[in-house]
Amino acid sequence: MSDGPLIVQSDKTLLLDIDHILSDECRRSIASFAELEKSPEHIHTYRLTPLGLWNARASGHDAEEVIDILIKYSRYAVPHALLVDIAETMSRYGRLRLEAHPVHGLILVSNDAAVLKEVTRGKKVAPMLGKQLDDETIVVHPGQRGFLKQALLKLGWPAEDFAGYVDGEHHEISLRQDGWKIRKYQELAAEGFWHGGSGVVVLPCGAGKTIVGAAAMAHAKATTLILVTNTVAARQWREELLRRTDLNEDDIGEYSGAKKEIRPITIATYQVMTTRKKGVYAHLDLFDAIDWGLIIYDEVHLLPAPIFRFTADIQSRRRLGLTATLVREDGMEGEVFSLIGPKRFDVPWKEIEAQGYIAPADCVEVRITLTDAERLNYATAEQEDRYRFCSTSQTKKDVAVALAKQHANDQVLVIGQYIDQLDQLSEALSVPVIKGDTPIKERERLYALFRTGEIKCLVVSKVANFSIDLPEATIAIQVSGTFGSRQEEAQRLGRILRPKADGRGARFYSLVARDTIDQDFAQNRQRFLAEQGYAYRIIDADEIIKKN
Amino acid sequence: MSTVAITFADELRSRSDEDLASIFRLRPDLVTPVPNDFSALSARATSTPSLVRALDSLNLWHYQIIEAACALPEPFKKSELVAVTSEETTFALEHLWQMGLLYKEGNNYRTPTNLKLLIGEEPAGLGPFSVKNFDFGSLKDIPKTSQEVLEKLTWGPPRGQIANIKKPGNAIGWLLDNNVLVPLDSHTVALPREIAIKLRGGKIHKEISSKPADLVGKKVVQKQIDLAAIANISTILRWCEEFLHNLSDEPPTALRTGGIGVRDLKRIAEHLGVDETCAGFVAELCYLGGLVVIDSDDQILPTSAFDIWLTKTAEERWYSLVVLWLDTSRVSGLIGKVGDKSIAPLGPELDRAGACLIRRTTLKVLSENQQICPDIKSIQEIVKWWNPQRANSDFVEWSLREAEWLGITGQGVVSTFGIKLLSEAEDLGIESALPKPVDHILIQADNSAVAPGPLLPELASEMGTIADIESRGGATVYRFSEASIRRGLDHGKTGDQIKTFLSKTSKTPMPQPLEYLIADVAKRHGRLRVGSAHTYIRCEDEGLVQQILHDKKCEHLRLRKIAPQVLVTDFELNEVIIELREYGYLPAAENAGGVLLSQPNLRRSKSRPKPPRIISEFTAPKEVIVLAAVKSIRTGERSRKVEPIVPGTSSNETLALINQYIAEGKTLMISYADNNGGVSNRIIDPISISLGTLTARDEASDEIVQFRIPRINGVAPALTILENKADLDL
Repeated sequence: MSDGPLIVQSDKTLLLDIDHILSDECRRSIASFAELEKSPEHIHTYRLTPLGLWNARASGHDAEEVIDILIKYSRYAVPHALLVDIAETMSRYGRLRLEAHPVHGLILVSNDAAVLKEVTRGKKVAPMLGKQLDDETIVVHPGQRGFLKQALLKLGWPAEDFAGYVDGEHHEISLRQDGWKIRKYQELAAEGFWHGGSGVVVLPCGAGKTIVGAAAMAHAKATTLILVTNTVAARQWREELLRRTDLNEDDIGEYSGAKKEIRPITIATYQVMTTRKKGVYAHLDLFDAIDWGLIIYDEVHLLPAPIFRFTADIQSRRRLGLTATLVREDGMEGEVFSLIGPKRFDVPWKEIEAQGYIAPADCVEVRITLTDAERLNYATAEQEDRYRFCSTSQTKKDVAVALAKQHANDQVLVIGQYIDQLDQLSEALSVPVIKGDTPIKERERLYALFRTGEIKCLVVSKVANFSIDLPEATIAIQVSGTFGSRQEEAQRLGRILRPKADGRGARFYSLVARDTIDQDFAQNRQRFLAEQGYAYRIIDADEIIKKN
Repeated sequence: MSTVAITFADELRSRSDEDLASIFRLRPDLVTPVPNDFSALSARATSTPSLVRALDSLNLWHYQIIEAACALPEPFKKSELVAVTSEETTFALEHLWQMGLLYKEGNNYRTPTNLKLLIGEEPAGLGPFSVKNFDFGSLKDIPKTSQEVLEKLTWGPPRGQIANIKKPGNAIGWLLDNNVLVPLDSHTVALPREIAIKLRGGKIHKEISSKPADLVGKKVVQKQIDLAAIANISTILRWCEEFLHNLSDEPPTALRTGGIGVRDLKRIAEHLGVDETCAGFVAELCYLGGLVVIDSDDQILPTSAFDIWLTKTAEERWYSLVVLWLDTSRVSGLIGKVGDKSIAPLGPELDRAGACLIRRTTLKVLSENQQICPDIKSIQEIVKWWNPQRANSDFVEWSLREAEWLGITGQGVVSTFGIKLLSEAEDLGIESALPKPVDHILIQADNSAVAPGPLLPELASEMGTIADIESRGGATVYRFSEASIRRGLDHGKTGDQIKTFLSKTSKTPMPQPLEYLIADVAKRHGRLRVGSAHTYIRCEDEGLVQQILHDKKCEHLRLRKIAPQVLVTDFELNEVIIELREYGYLPAAENAGGVLLSQPNLRRSKSRPKPPRIISEFTAPKEVIVLAAVKSIRTGERSRKVEPIVPGTSSNETLALINQYIAEGKTLMISYADNNGGVSNRIIDPISISLGTLTARDEASDEIVQFRIPRINGVAPALTILENKADLDL
C-alpha cells in the first residue's frame, strides 16, 4: 500500500490531498479523465463520470492507463468493482464511429454488430438512420450528425466522430504579441482545443478567455463566427481582437439588434440569434452566410436551448466553448458535451490566482438583521414574494449605502436584481445606474467613465453579470440576485478579478438578510466559489454602520 | 430363511476395529448417537437419511462406481464391476467398502438393499433386466429405422412411450419381435439392461474419470489480489456498519412472513450505494452474526451484539461473520424474485440443503488453485465433479460472488487472508494490512470535512451525528448543514460542545461560516417546545388559573402551568371536569375546535373488541370415524385374544423374519410395545425396513404405520395364529 495523495472512494469520487508532495503530479495525471468537482483549500474532489472517462478515451487514454494511475497514486486499495466499472465504461466509447463515406456520405460503423443492433432499436435513433450497408455499417441521414451523437450519448454508447471538419473559408489570422505575451495556460488551452477538434475551455473570469479564443482563431486561420451574450460583450470582443491579432477593423463585423454586418469575423449575440419573427428564427441564415471554419460560443454555460438545436446542424464545423463555470442550473451539461464537445481544458481558479493572473479576492457575507416591522412584513408575505421582500429591505439599502461610502476611494460596483431597488440605490448614492433599458451607447459611455476612474461607483443590474471588462473595479456589493444561482455569484465575483495595476486584492460583499430565505439562497450561491477555494467571511451589518 | 439382511450386520461385525473406525470417520452421522450393537449400526447405516448423506459426500467418480454396482446383478465380482467401469475402479473399491456402501460376501460384493432404492430402479439410465435369454448376435441385423430408436434409448431414459403396443410400427415392432425391447405396459417399452450395456460398449457410463478437470482461468499477481481483497474486507465491514446504523435510524417493519420487504431493501441498497442482491447479502450476513433481529413488534433493529461487535478489531469483526457464512445453509443468492414469488432477506425461505457443501467445495477448489481467477464454467464443472449429487451452478456462482464481497477473494482469486481463513490460521494478517485509523478530520471552507482514512470509531460516531456523509470509501466526506447540526443538538449536544469537538478534531482551522452556522442553529434550536398532555384547562382570568394551580384539593391532578392562561394535566378530561365541579369550580368542556360541548359525553372504550370464545356442545362424530373406531376395537380384540400365541424373538431374528415376510409378502402378527410400555398385538402387512423402523399397513386402522424395530417383542405369521378364523370373526 503506497502512501499516495489520492483516495478513491467507492462512489467514484477521488479525493486529492493537495498538501501531499505528489499532489501536483497526481493532479496532472488524473485531470485527463476525472472532472474537478470542487477545489477548496485542503482536499480537492474529482469525480469519475462516464462523460469524463469517454473524454479521456477521446484524447487517447485507455482504461489500463487510467487504472494504473489510480492504483499508483491511491493511498488505500482501490475497490475492484470500481476498476471493473471504469474498464467497462471506457470500452463503450468508440465502439460506434461516425465516418465519412465517399459514396454514402455519413455512416455509422461498429465492429460490434450487437451494439449496432442495440442502438438501431432505440426509438429516437432509428429515424436518423438509413439503409444498413452490412452487419457493421449503417448510413446516417445527412444533417443528423449532431442529433445522432446526442441520442447515442443518452443510450450510453457515445459515438466517436471521425467524420472530420470542413476547413471553412481561409482567412489569415495570427496573434500580434507586441507589449504582451500569451500566457502558458492560455496557449495550452488553445492547443488542447485544437487537437481535440471541438470542445470547451474552462477558465476563471478575468483569466483571459478572449485570448484563448483569439489563439484558437490563429490556429484555424479561417472565417469565424463568435456568439456572445450581449452587445457590450460583442464590442469588447471586437476591441480585444483588434488589440491582440493582426485583424483590422474591416475584418470584424457585429451582428446584433443594432447592426447586421457579416464579415469574415462576425460577432453575434445570442439574443439576435434566438429572435423569432412570426414563430420563425429570423437570423438562422447567419450560420450559412459564410463557410465558417470556426464557431466560438462565449459563456457556454448560458447557451440558450435553441442555439443547441442550431448547433446540432453544424457539426462539421469546429466549435469552441468558453466559460468560467461549466455549471448549468438546467443540467444541460450533456448537451454541451455532445454538441459543442468535451471539456478540453480546465484549471482551478486558485491556481491562476497563485500565478498572479487574477486578483486575490476577499469574499464577505454581511449579515443584516431586519427590523421588527420588516420581519413581520416578510413573515406574512406570499411565498413567491418572500425573496423580494427580504432582499430589497430598507435596512439592506442603508447598509449598502454605508458600505459604498466606506469605499469612496475605490472603484465600486453595486449589483442587484430588482430595478426599483437599483433605482433607489442610485438615487441614495447619487451615481448612475445601468439596467436593461439603458441604451447601449449610454452603457458604453458609463463603462468607459468607470474604467478611467471618472466615475467611482456604478449601480448595475444583471446586464453586467457577464463579459463586461472593468479591470479597475475592486469592490462589488451584491444586494440581490437570481435566487440561488451559483454561476451568477461566480460571474459577479469575476467582474472584479482582473489583476489590479497596483496588485491590490478585490473584495466581494454579499448582503444577506438574517433568518430569511435570503440566507438559504446565499448558501447555495456561495457553494461554487467555496468549492473553488474562496472562503467567505461573515460580518455583522452593525459593524459597518458603526464605522460610519 | 433369507440371509441377506443379516449378512450386512454380520459383515460389519467381522470388520476390524480400524475398519469400523473408518466407517465412523467417513460417515460421522453414524456415531451420533452411538449405536447399541451391530444390528443397530447396520440398520442406521442402511437407513435413507444416512445413505443420502453418504451419497452426497461422494465425488462423481465414486458415485458412478456405486451406480454401476447397483446396475449389476448381485452378488458381483470385482472384475465384473471393473469391466463395466474402468481399471481405476480397483482403487476406489476399498474406500467405498469402508464407507459401507458396498459389503463383501466371500470374494463377491453386494450393496445394501436400501442403497438400490436410493439410486433408483434405473441406475445410470439403465432399464430392467431382460427376463428372456437374449441372443446378442441378432443385434447385428437391426434395420436402420430400428437402430435410430435404439440410439435414443441407449443412454437413457430406457423407456419409450408408444401409442399402442399392439400396433407398434415397423421399427419398434422388429425390436419387440426380437426381444431387443420389452413391453412394460400397453403404452411403454423398455430397453433391457444387458442389451443397453452391450450397446454402450460394455461400459455403463459414457465417461468416467478419477480426477476432476483442471481449472481454467486467468493468472493474477498475488499482491494485486491481496490489495483488492483488503479493499473488499474494509468495504464489507463498512457496509455492515452502515446497514445497521441505517436500521437504527429508520427501522423497517418486517413482512408478515418475516424478512425485509422489497421497498425497504431497495432503500437500504440505495443508502449503501450497492445493488439489491448485495444489500440482501449484507443483511443476511448481519443476521447470521446476530447483529440484527426482528423485534417482537416486527421492527427490524440492530441488537446489542452490534455494539459489542463494533468495539472489536477489524479482523475479529470480519472473522466473526465470515466463519458463520462458511457453514450457513442460508443462501442469500436466492433473495429476490423467484418465479412470481419474492424471497426476502432475513425471511424463512433461504435455507437450502447442500449450500454449505457447495460453498466449501468452491472455496476448496479456489484455494487449491491460487493466483488463478477461475472461469465460471470451469469451476462449476469441477464443483459438480466433487459433489454430483448436490451440484448447483447458481450456488457456485453465488459463492464466488459472496467470497469476493467478503474479501476471501480479491479480483476473483483467493487472497492470502482467504487461504489463512480456510486453513484455520490463528492470525489472518488483516489487521496489519488494513489502513491505520486516523484521528483527525480536515474541515474546509465549503462546510465539508474530510476524514482522510478510516476514522476512529468514537470520532466516526460523533461526526455521524453532527454531519451528513457525502461520500464513503477509504476516506469519508462529511457535510455540515443546518439539518445535520440540528440533529447533533437533538442528540443533546450544545453548540459550544460541537464547536469544541470540531476544533479539537480538525487539523485545519474551523472556517468562520461553519462557526456561524453552528451558532445560528444552536440559537434557534429548541425555541419551539413540544410536549404532550391529556387535558388542558384554559381561562382568560389569570387569577383563576393561579387559584386552581395553588388549590390544595386539586394537587393530585398534577396541574402544570405552560402559559399564564393555560394549565395542563395528564388526567382524562371527564375526570378533571368532575373533580373541578366537586371543588366548586364551573368548568365546561370544549372540543378540538374550541366549541363548547353541551351534550352528555357518550363514553366508549379505547381498546378493540375482544369477545370471549364460544365453547359449544359436542357434535355427532362423522360416520367414517365411527366405522374406523369399530374396526379398531374389533382388531384390537382379535389381537388381544391371541396374545399369548406370539412367540418372543431376538432382535436379529425379528429383522430376519420381517425381511423374509417382506420378501414373501405375508401378513404377520407382531407384539409391539407402545410409548407407555404397554404391549399389544398388531396384525400387519410389512412393507419395508429402514432407519430401524418397520413400515407396514396396520390392519386395525388400515393405515400405513411406522413400528420401531427394537420395540417389536415377537413376530409370527398371522396364519399360524389364525387357525380358527371363524372362531375369531365374532
